Amino acid sequence: MKVLVANRGEIAVRIMRACRELGFRAVAVYSECDRSAPHVTYADEAYPIGPSEPRDSYLRIDRLLDVAERADVWAVHPGYGFLATFVGPSAEAIELMGGKVTARAVARAAGVPVVPGTDASLDPGLSDAALSASAGAIGYPLFVKAVAGGGGKGMRLVHEPSALVAAVAAARSEAGSAFGDDTVYLERRLAATRHIEIQVLADAHGTVVPFVERECSIQRRHQKVVEEAPAADMPLERRRAMADAAASIARAVGYTNAGTIEFLVDETGAFYFLEMNTRLQVEHGVTEAVTGIDLVQAQFTIARGAPLDIDPVRALTPIGHAIECRVYAEDPDASFLPSPGWIHELRAPSGPGVRDDSGAMAGSEVPVFYDSLISKVVVWGTDRAQALARMRRAVDEYEIHGVKTTIPFFRWLLRSEAFASGPVDTTFIDATLAARGGRPFVESSPEAEELAVIGAALYAFLEAGHGDASSSASVSAWRQAARTDSLRA
Amino acid sequence: MRLEIEVGGRVRTVTVERASAASDRFVVTVEGCRHDLDVRRLDRATLSLIRLDGSPARTSHALTIVETGLRGRYDVQLREGVFRTVIDGRLRSGPAGERLRAGRQVVTAPMPGRVVRVLVAPGDEVDERQELVVIEAMKMENALGSPKAGRVVEVAVREGMTVEVGRMLVAVE
Repeated sequence: MKVLVANRGEIAVRIMRACRELGFRAVAVYSECDRSAPHVTYADEAYPIGPSEPRDSYLRIDRLLDVAERADVWAVHPGYGFLATFVGPSAEAIELMGGKVTARAVARAAGVPVVPGTDASLDPGLSDAALSASAGAIGYPLFVKAVAGGGGKGMRLVHEPSALVAAVAAARSEAGSAFGDDTVYLERRLAATRHIEIQVLADAHGTVVPFVERECSIQRRHQKVVEEAPAADMPLERRRAMADAAASIARAVGYTNAGTIEFLVDETGAFYFLEMNTRLQVEHGVTEAVTGIDLVQAQFTIARGAPLDIDPVRALTPIGHAIECRVYAEDPDASFLPSPGWIHELRAPSGPGVRDDSGAMAGSEVPVFYDSLISKVVVWGTDRAQALARMRRAVDEYEIHGVKTTIPFFRWLLRSEAFASGPVDTTFIDATLAARGGRPFVESSPEAEELAVIGAALYAFLEAGHGDASSSASVSAWRQAARTDSLRA
Repeated sequence: MRLEIEVGGRVRTVTVERASAASDRFVVTVEGCRHDLDVRRLDRATLSLIRLDGSPARTSHALTIVETGLRGRYDVQLREGVFRTVIDGRLRSGPAGERLRAGRQVVTAPMPGRVVRVLVAPGDEVDERQELVVIEAMKMENALGSPKAGRVVEVAVREGMTVEVGRMLVAVE
């Protein structure tokens, strides 16, 4: 039995690992620039599907179906980006819940409160005056959001009426290129809210299992960068109420497979439906860590038409605490601009309680064509304090050379007083970044600067042809191995 | 070999020599302070250093040196992060020296991508951090802001253009 994994990077590798454990052969697809990428080398079979641009390769459904047929697979797993679904919910449920405007209507009908906003998407021909009137009725500050959105793409925060028209244009443009759909709607921004979400699994036999919540309030540019399970200070009654609301929304659309219902929670503990993600999510690892349930394997169980065999109490009862940090190829000292390029050196963290779901290795490339996520580090501890200490240790161990990454940012964040004492709201990062006033995350010290000077000097010396320091080709593999080992210390 | 190397806004005088012709031992002095090092090149960009000078700091280091495309400018990556270095002040006489010319500041593409919007025209007055150009790269639109308040003197790109790293976009005076 074979499974086609129609994605790339860390999520493709993560899904292939589940395939291996279930005894399925994993089939990869790859674009030109991904020819030797880790997800390709990990797979049992791999097929080229075109040039590097996603629309010419990973988004080409005809080519994916062609590979599915040639490789004779029983299932296609889409990962989480790129495509809607094969291993996943029905097309109807995706259409309803994938469109944020229809999803809000479903939640309202299921008796779950929604964030105030427009009931329909904005007509593309809407006049500026009508747009302003519509926004005025909702109230500022507000978000312009892509109906097909996700991951903070196609989304703009608008503080005042004068910025509205430009923000709508920008959101449309970004949504059009990211999702192939440029429709947007307006939604009020609630103050001081936390972003808390409920994972659900639902099978074709009517079973819907809601899981313990994930806290995803650490966001920048409306994109999650750190997630935890469970949320700090979550009363049991609220956990049950949110789980019930999530399950009733999933039931209302006859949802099957893995999905996530996102809520905003205000200071009083009241929660509002935000949106539903009709796919596996990046942060699924923290749920796996505190429940011991493999969500990707469960997706395959559901796709086979088999009933879920999960104890609902276990799914709602976290054991210990888990934290995830998303390692992106972005420069935290240049407003988190993407930093594509070749990875020269990579030392991943390991040891007790650490899981590194990575799609990169030394010698691999972070191409300019795709999302810049390199890896997700998930740690588990018996409580939040231990998990936090482990994550500090893990990001200190993590070394990625060649591209800039969010690791220096995490080293700072995990030591910040506010994060350690938690919980914080979704404005936390933007507010602390503003308060830092551009002070760099890459910690400078006289020792580090001196080492950088020494490195630059040696490099210039060697490049100027003053003889080579032994290259790996000219030394024995044994010596090289011993040296690499000594560097790990 | 004698070099002037700037990092963190401070220029240091550095000398490099091989301790003996056929060995991996090097002697580097930084502002007269001597460091004995065992150096191996793991690949073209990566150096493995072991300090032999009994320094109290960690002794074993892997450094990656990436040429930025601007002459004399190297990004040196240590565990702590990336440090920008400038060798021999070549910056001042090289093609990028223009950047330092009094008053004139050039915004360059920090990554390869496609210009999706040009928000200013020559002659426009701009505030510090005002958005000048939006580049789409890696599935995100990235707005590049003005390094200073001033007047736009040159716009070197058009919407729809593909740009490489370091490509000049806008000059502000």
